[in-house]
Amino acid sequence: MSRQLVQSHREKAALRLDGPPTATGCEELPALGLVPELGSRSTRPGLRPCSAGSGTHLSVDGLVKRYDGRSVLHGLSLQIEAGVFVAIVGRSGCGKSTLLRIIAGLDRPSSGTVTLTTPIGERRPRVRLMFQEARLLPWKSVLANVALGLPKSVPGEALAVLHEVGLADRAASWPAELSGGQRQRVALARALLHKPDLLLLDEPLGALDALTRIEMQALIEQLWKEHGFTALLVTHDVQEAIALADRVLFIEDGGIAFDQRVDLSRPRARGSADFARLENDALGRVLRSDPNRDALV
Amino acid sequence: MGSAVIRASRAETRHGGASAHPLVGWIVPVLLLAAWQLISGIGWLPERILPEPWAVVRAAYRLAASGELWEDTEISAARALGGLAIGGGLGFALGLLTGLSRVAETALDSTLQMVRNVPPLAMIPLVILWFGIDEGAKLFLVALGVFFPIYLNTFHGIRSVDRDLIEMARSYGLTRWQLYRDVIFPGALPSILVGLRFSLGLMWVMLIVAETISASSGIGYMTMNAREFLQTDVVMVGILLYALLGKLADLVARGLERYCLRWHPSYRAR
Repeated sequence: MSRQLVQSHREKAALRLDGPPTATGCEELPALGLVPELGSRSTRPGLRPCSAGSGTHLSVDGLVKRYDGRSVLHGLSLQIEAGVFVAIVGRSGCGKSTLLRIIAGLDRPSSGTVTLTTPIGERRPRVRLMFQEARLLPWKSVLANVALGLPKSVPGEALAVLHEVGLADRAASWPAELSGGQRQRVALARALLHKPDLLLLDEPLGALDALTRIEMQALIEQLWKEHGFTALLVTHDVQEAIALADRVLFIEDGGIAFDQRVDLSRPRARGSADFARLENDALGRVLRSDPNRDALV
Repeated sequence: MGSAVIRASRAETRHGGASAHPLVGWIVPVLLLAAWQLISGIGWLPERILPEPWAVVRAAYRLAASGELWEDTEISAARALGGLAIGGGLGFALGLLTGLSRVAETALDSTLQMVRNVPPLAMIPLVILWFGIDEGAKLFLVALGVFFPIYLNTFHGIRSVDRDLIEMARSYGLTRWQLYRDVIFPGALPSILVGLRFSLGLMWVMLIVAETISASSGIGYMTMNAREFLQTDVVMVGILLYALLGKLADLVARGLERYCLRWHPSYRAR
């Protein structure tokens, strides 16, 4: 399996940096500034995938976001049950990434709330975000990148997670030596090490070539099944959404335009008739929603 | 047929810039040295203008044997490094401050940019008035010279750290200190090291000037003293010593770069 495929250039979004991105409009939101209490959890010997992240129920209520008077999201509401894989599709600029950033606590909503509840214990739900670009620290080894922000005792666990994404043998490499797909795997491992209850994926596969993307989709699906976190994937690829998600949401004009259940059994065969029908339906609705068809990816 | 093919590929390697033997670079210096020795030996070059190379070597040996050479080198190096520590340390600290805090930038940066336009050597009359011809004067001049390259590059380095990485680090729960240590400082380091290399060049220039103006020890004193007695060979030893020390400092800086930036593809290449 060759992963040394072409690396694409990623665009970097210029982002706001003033103030820590922790607080949002809601009390229950997890504080991203907190390091998870790894010390209290039993350390796993060997390479067994952990099951500590147990999925969180996500409730978004009347979310409004305005940038300089321009409204990006207006009154978006959304319920996602624990452990479900949800994909959000939409055109560029429809507000899907904004929604994700607000849920992640990187942006504040103008109004509205985001509530996360975990079924077990009083513990605060952990949320981790996978960005469009891998955002690895180029001056740290792959292993150190995975263990970023965690206590020193973690390397064994970091290596285990790296093994899960199939890159244990690259632990000592520099990020610059990896291909684009490998870098995203490292980013995925980094997110998984925090044992998230909710994993947000902001078009993490958008810059990868088609083959690598399919491999990554399978990996994400497998890890989601093993770890049991709630997953929220933003993508512009309808096929990717149907291949991975239990539910596909289409966001348009700052609100949810449709909400499609996907009841296909996993792993999903892209060639199957049911798959193709669902994909066609969804694509049709996305295309119908805007006269400017060329703009669709 | 076969031989034609071989000949073609040979020509290709020659044109493709196949690396020459490393000793090739030494041919010209050695020839120059030989010519210099020859001209001096014939007597075309008066001793007062330029002594023969062999005489310089003998002078160096004499000075080394008497211990004078080591003593002066030690004093000069201590002045240079002391000035670097003071000026570089201050430059780094202020660069860090203005780089990290908008308030500090507004308060300090325009002042510092104004002061930067004063050539450090223009300060000499004032420096002599303030410090006389003490060690303080030399330290001050060196520190002044190295301050700005390090300050500017630290400031610029911190400001050019990838915002996306900072956002990522924050969202992964890094504390403020971890953020500086793991993200901001390593991100600014390439730029800081460029500043350091600039500073090392300036450090010797400032020291030479300071020691030449007035000193009672150090390499500059040794050369100025020798000039009084028309000992051109000793003057040459001093000049070559400065060159050697400058080269040494540059090598150290480059080694530091290669070690600290080994993650960087363009530094790893060589």
